[in-house]
Amino acid sequence: MPSPIDPAERLLNLLIALVNSRGRMTKEQVRASVAGYADAPSDDAFERMFERDKDTLRELGIPLVTVTDAGHGDDIGYRIDLEAYALPPIDLTAAELGVLTLAAQTWQDRTMRGDTSRALTKLRAVGQGPGATDLVAGLAPRVRSGGSVFAPLLDAAQARQVVRLTYRAASTGEVRERRVEPWQLVARRGGWVLVGWDQDRQAPRSFRLSRIEGSVRVTGEPGAFPPPDPDLVDRALAAWRAGPSRVATLAVLPERAEATRVRAVDAPAGAVDWSADPQVAPVLVGRDIVHVEYRNAWELAEELVGYGDAVLVIDPPEVRGHVLSLLRRAAELAPEVTRG
Amino acid sequence: MAERASDRVVRLLGMIAFLDRHEGASVDELARLFGVSNQQVMADVDTLWVSGTPGYLPYDLIDFDFSSYQRGVVRLTESRGMTRPLRLSAREGVALVAALRALDAGLGGALDDERAQVVRSALAKLTAAVGDAAGTVDVSLTLAAAPAVASALATALREGRRLHVRYVNAADVASEREVDPIRLVTDTDRSYLLGWCHAVEGERLFRVDRILSARVLDVPAEQHPVPPGGGEFVPGDDGALVTLHLTSHGRWVAESTPVQEVRNLPDGSFEIDLRIVSPAWLRHLVLQAADDVLDVRPVSVAADVAQVARAALAAYGPLADLPADALVQDGGA
Repeated sequence: MPSPIDPAERLLNLLIALVNSRGRMTKEQVRASVAGYADAPSDDAFERMFERDKDTLRELGIPLVTVTDAGHGDDIGYRIDLEAYALPPIDLTAAELGVLTLAAQTWQDRTMRGDTSRALTKLRAVGQGPGATDLVAGLAPRVRSGGSVFAPLLDAAQARQVVRLTYRAASTGEVRERRVEPWQLVARRGGWVLVGWDQDRQAPRSFRLSRIEGSVRVTGEPGAFPPPDPDLVDRALAAWRAGPSRVATLAVLPERAEATRVRAVDAPAGAVDWSADPQVAPVLVGRDIVHVEYRNAWELAEELVGYGDAVLVIDPPEVRGHVLSLLRRAAELAPEVTRG
Repeated sequence: MAERASDRVVRLLGMIAFLDRHEGASVDELARLFGVSNQQVMADVDTLWVSGTPGYLPYDLIDFDFSSYQRGVVRLTESRGMTRPLRLSAREGVALVAALRALDAGLGGALDDERAQVVRSALAKLTAAVGDAAGTVDVSLTLAAAPAVASALATALREGRRLHVRYVNAADVASEREVDPIRLVTDTDRSYLLGWCHAVEGERLFRVDRILSARVLDVPAEQHPVPPGGGEFVPGDDGALVTLHLTSHGRWVAESTPVQEVRNLPDGSFEIDLRIVSPAWLRHLVLQAADDVLDVRPVSVAADVAQVARAALAAYGPLADLPADALVQDGGA
């Protein structure tokens, strides 16, 4: 028995046959004429092989279209839409290919990494030579993986298909089935967020991918909803975006928190003279006043709380309140040890 | 691991498209272009040579010039209509465009004008080719470095020169060091400089937002062997094992920290095991996550963090007991 043909070779022959066929090819024609399919030991094996190969071609971006012949009932044929097959003219220099190589390596997610490396292969075919990566040597940008739900959500958002997902709400811990029109995937603060229209709540919502339990199920047809209104996307994203720049006032022990001091700015115009405040003045003794810019009160509080008593937040009350509440919670982790 | 059939098909098609645009290419050149071995290129040529349209008689097949090939040059003589370069799939296009946008917006400080220009022209050409479908993904990279530090790091990396840096570690202790830069790792939250630190004679990861100042020295950086995955913080097995019990809101801790193990508990809370190299780093993590921390083991670690918190509360003095809005005053006391 001859050794079975390599799957890549079979796929290539299927594609060449489809590209060159006048009109369409039926499944039977593929089985009878295309190299590799005669290897299938049974009808079932052939069906599985052919289904898998069709899926693979479509994943590669090849526009494989199904054509039904009106005269022959359910007689289905296949052809390649040559209009949509080709890459539009793109002329990449070696330096640009080098930058694209860096961009491709940015993704840490295995599925996305596979996609970008295939995309590079396609672009290299029309480039002016191997990419010149020395131009960006030493740079290693990284985008963390969004987990197994990322690629299916991205596909659904691109195709504008509704998804069902099981979500654990942050506020209550309650686990619920949600139906969502996926709009956009956004990487924020190390995690991925899906922004979309929650069909049950009839409102825009954002979902952390890490709180989606199990897998995402696509329901219904592509193009099920119109492209999202940019204003609505914006509103749903507001919670993840940093606010306007503000200035916080800190009291810092000498020679401590240099990483924060290095960002120090001048006291804003009209700043309060805290040393004149009888309540605050004693706290400032032996400390330097440092002003830093921040956009997100929580982020600043999380940074500063790590310094313990070396950094005290004087103003604004919002940041101080966050720090104090973290400190109180931490103080409860173990009872005070009294020395006797 | 064997290559996926789909990846190989894309390369086979890419080779035909490339060879159609060039008067032959050497096996070496093709190997460099597509990032595979010479043997793989020859195996690919062999596959193409026997592929074609049904019938598979000589004139049905893709063909190369045999005498050129004997001299190591691949010259396409029959393409069977397969010369069109393959378009990018929707996901491929969006993944590349989103990454390029992030490079353009986030790495600005680490690229000089020439390089920034190349990123922008690649982005413009790619966007023109894939259309505006790229809006479905939005990634950002955070350099989080003072402009002067960013530019010094970039210069040192580009020119292969040693750096003198003033760095403050997780325990809030500042020191001066000489570092041979290896790689600038940037992610969505912050950046790290992977470098060879001459003070400790070893490879170290420096958080860029804790580099207080950086000066490029007139000394070439020495070459140091670095594993390709370098830049990922992986604590060794020798660190102390600490377990944090977190509420379900604390998932971000598991996502942003190299954990040894995650155990999900029936009530939605979960436990993570961490190997701790720096107690100061752990203290910071627990304080930061205090709202979501239910328990810390061993007890000695919990006691340490609680003690630090009490000391800080004491330092706040009367400020600790003020209602959140009591200090909002208009123009002084």
